[in-house]
Amino acid sequence: MTTFFLILTRVMAVLARIALALSGIGLVLMTAFIAWQVFGRFVLNDTPTWTESVSVLIMGWFIFLGAAVGIREGYHLSFDVFLYLLPDRVKRVLHTVSDIVVVAFGAGMIGYGIQLAEATWSTTIPNVGWSGATAFLALICGGVLLVLFSLERLARRAAGLVTARFGEVELPDEDR
Amino acid sequence: MEYWILFGTFVFLLLIGTPIAFCLGVSSFATIAYLGLPPVVVFQRLNSGVSIFALMAIPFFIFAGNLMVRGDIARRLVALAGAAVGHFRGGLGQVNILASVLFGGISGSAAADASAIGGLMVPQMKERGYDADYAVNITVVSSIIALMLPPSHNLIIYSIAGGGRISIADLFTAGIIPGLVLALSLMVAAWLVARKRGYPLEPFPGMRAVGTLLLSATPGLVLVAIIFGGVRSGVFTASESSCIAVVYAMFAIFFLYRTMDFEQFRLAVSDAVRTTAMVLMVIGCAAAFGWLLAFLRIPTQLVEFMRDLSDSPIVILLLINVLLLILGSFMDMSPLIVITTPIFLPVAMEFNVDPVQFGIILVLNLGIGLCTPPVGTVLFVGCAVGKMPVWDVVRTIWPFYIAGIFTLMLVTYIPALSLWLPSLFH
Amino acid sequence: NAAETMLRSSDTHPDGYPTVEAVKYMGKLLEEKTDGRLGVEVFHSAQLGEEKDTIEQTQFGVIDFNRVSLGPFNNIIEETKIPSLPYIFRSIDHMHKVMDGLIGEDILKAFEAHDLVGLAFYDAGARSFYNSEKPIKSMDDLKGMKFRVMQSDVFVKMVDALGANATPMPYGEVYSSIQTGVIDGAENNWPSFESSGHFEVAPYYTLDQHLIVPEVLVMSKKSWDKLSAEDQAAVREAAKESVPHMRKLWADREAASEAKVKKAGVNIVTDIDKTPFIEAMKPVYEEFVTSDKLKDLVERIQATE
Ligand code: NA
Ligand code: NA
Repeated sequence: MTTFFLILTRVMAVLARIALALSGIGLVLMTAFIAWQVFGRFVLNDTPTWTESVSVLIMGWFIFLGAAVGIREGYHLSFDVFLYLLPDRVKRVLHTVSDIVVVAFGAGMIGYGIQLAEATWSTTIPNVGWSGATAFLALICGGVLLVLFSLERLARRAAGLVTARFGEVELPDEDR
Repeated sequence: MEYWILFGTFVFLLLIGTPIAFCLGVSSFATIAYLGLPPVVVFQRLNSGVSIFALMAIPFFIFAGNLMVRGDIARRLVALAGAAVGHFRGGLGQVNILASVLFGGISGSAAADASAIGGLMVPQMKERGYDADYAVNITVVSSIIALMLPPSHNLIIYSIAGGGRISIADLFTAGIIPGLVLALSLMVAAWLVARKRGYPLEPFPGMRAVGTLLLSATPGLVLVAIIFGGVRSGVFTASESSCIAVVYAMFAIFFLYRTMDFEQFRLAVSDAVRTTAMVLMVIGCAAAFGWLLAFLRIPTQLVEFMRDLSDSPIVILLLINVLLLILGSFMDMSPLIVITTPIFLPVAMEFNVDPVQFGIILVLNLGIGLCTPPVGTVLFVGCAVGKMPVWDVVRTIWPFYIAGIFTLMLVTYIPALSLWLPSLFH
Repeated sequence: NAAETMLRSSDTHPDGYPTVEAVKYMGKLLEEKTDGRLGVEVFHSAQLGEEKDTIEQTQFGVIDFNRVSLGPFNNIIEETKIPSLPYIFRSIDHMHKVMDGLIGEDILKAFEAHDLVGLAFYDAGARSFYNSEKPIKSMDDLKGMKFRVMQSDVFVKMVDALGANATPMPYGEVYSSIQTGVIDGAENNWPSFESSGHFEVAPYYTLDQHLIVPEVLVMSKKSWDKLSAEDQAAVREAAKESVPHMRKLWADREAASEAKVKKAGVNIVTDIDKTPFIEAMKPVYEEFVTSDKLKDLVERIQATE
């Protein structure tokens, strides 16, 4: 592997690890908040009203970050039966088309996410008081990671390196 | 033309192996752009589609399931089931099914069930002289039971896809009898196949051994009781019960069993994040796709089309079932629920089918689809844990498909199977 | 579906609901006025999304019309907070007088700055408390009870100010939550109290009419700008003319729901002294009526006879 790919892989692996760690912390926090909501209503007889909105925001974060990491680690579900019938050369071309399409969608998440954030900038989220734009931050960040990880796949495939695919190929441990 | 762009792009991307979530998202994007409307709607639907409080049950149940497997709760439930029914004909096959009843009541995810119980049962069954295909067949099909017994996050997805106005508590209760009927039908099928192949009997270990195992599995059983009892007694709502399942599982693992260290916990968390992100990204993109279906008035047209075909509810329900079985053999469950509910629920309601019963039909039907080629997540999981090629498994699976479809027909044409139990709570 | 161009309108209520039927009626009027050039197609039952989302879609110009409650606008358009305040209207008649007059016109004009054209106000009746425990006759009875409210600042603050416990919760979970005692009750108007079946599990309804919030019919500014001045006038007229029809549909629907609920034996409390309830709202008004513009609106509404 060339130095370029060593550095690229290492940077992307760190990004993916950070995204997964943040998502995991989000899941644990969400558990704590909803448990607190039940406790507040049932024991304290005073239901916290912010827990629902904040937990929904957190959920957005780990879905979009997790979905982006899923592109890198190849754990998204897909339909592979047709591909089995094709020679490897054609398969590689189709995988490339597929990755380019995901890059475009990720770019849409960034661009239109920013547009949505601008449109909702001056609104507020009920019972939390934050700007409505907060709700689209996860979409935008997820989009950025999605584009980066898809570009990494394109580069790796062009260089003849392994790209992960659900139920087929896993990313080598040293690249994760 | 817009129909061709929507479905054409979707099918094309599906065939070239694009992740299903992005097939849905990108085909919606292309269609909106073709219609000359601002594509920003696609991303608004994506964001709103995953920002729903009731969806939170999905990450929680997946998280709880992971904690149970890594924290040894699942294995203890299997051991209990083994002691209880191991002495019947095809005993370990029956254990596999009973374990799905017990574990399914907690995980609510067929894939989780197949990986957890299959991982434990298939090696044990092979060791004691059962054929690998038999072990995998049972593991795969019996995991549909998990979809029917509460808590089933697929029923939550259905309630949301149906406009959020179908009671989740009713759906959970409605799934119990059909789930048990399915378990019973599969046990009969397992017994018949076992008799034909001459599989061995396990000795009954005695009430004392069953008692010991029961004690060891009690915290797991308490979890089942907490989730269901908690919702029914009014301590918490259906969405909150999933969170309490996580909190309780952590409590049991860290303080009662002491079976987990921090590293295992970290792995359980990141696995849960991965699975959740995968499932919910599909749901979010399907929200954009579903918006376009509604915008193009496709559900309304389909309802009119089916109304023209026949005015007999029996025929219409059969048509819907066949259509769903075909779709289900190609696609995964949660996107199909989100896509098909807005289309078929109005049709079914037009023919006086209760939305609660329809939810059970839908989930059972699509559950069977999870076990069939070409695309069957549960089938693939089963093949992976049994280390068997897909074709070898599918060749001998038909007695279990028959049991599944037999149950589906019962649930479709006998409303009381689904509706009687919830009616007791009204 | 006879018109050349069918404009799209969103509604979260099911087919046949007064708001849905009113917009259909408005479409018919529009078709007549434009000689079949323009018509309206209603996407009911939240097919295109919940209110918050369809408002954005209307702003983007994807949907042409939208029938929405004023609540979701509270965090977007300042002026809409005022008619959404508890006990701001003394009665339905008072609300009609205010919204049909200059004050209503001023509030409709405020939508223009947000890519929307405010067309008309529809009725949504009055919201009152119901619960599974006891007849509520005074504020003391409300103490410590848990009421489900929408995810809205005003609703939460109002219920808290009354000494009860505000519990935000998705609408779909309310029935079983009352039934099982997660919450003691909720609050809504006659038709929703009836159609949700909540009266089966919460048989005490206290007509305190704390919120009389009108609904609003808006058009997308983008769609509006595409119309000729003549068609714009036709849209305005059709919308205004649909209002009396809508109020008639609403009154019928309300009466039918009331009859059904009463027949089921629900205990209905009508004779309550609202004065302490109104006084308890002081902190809520202080929190939400922040600018001079809003204070002026409140005074004008209170001065309307
Ligand atoms: Na099983
Ligand atoms: Na399948």
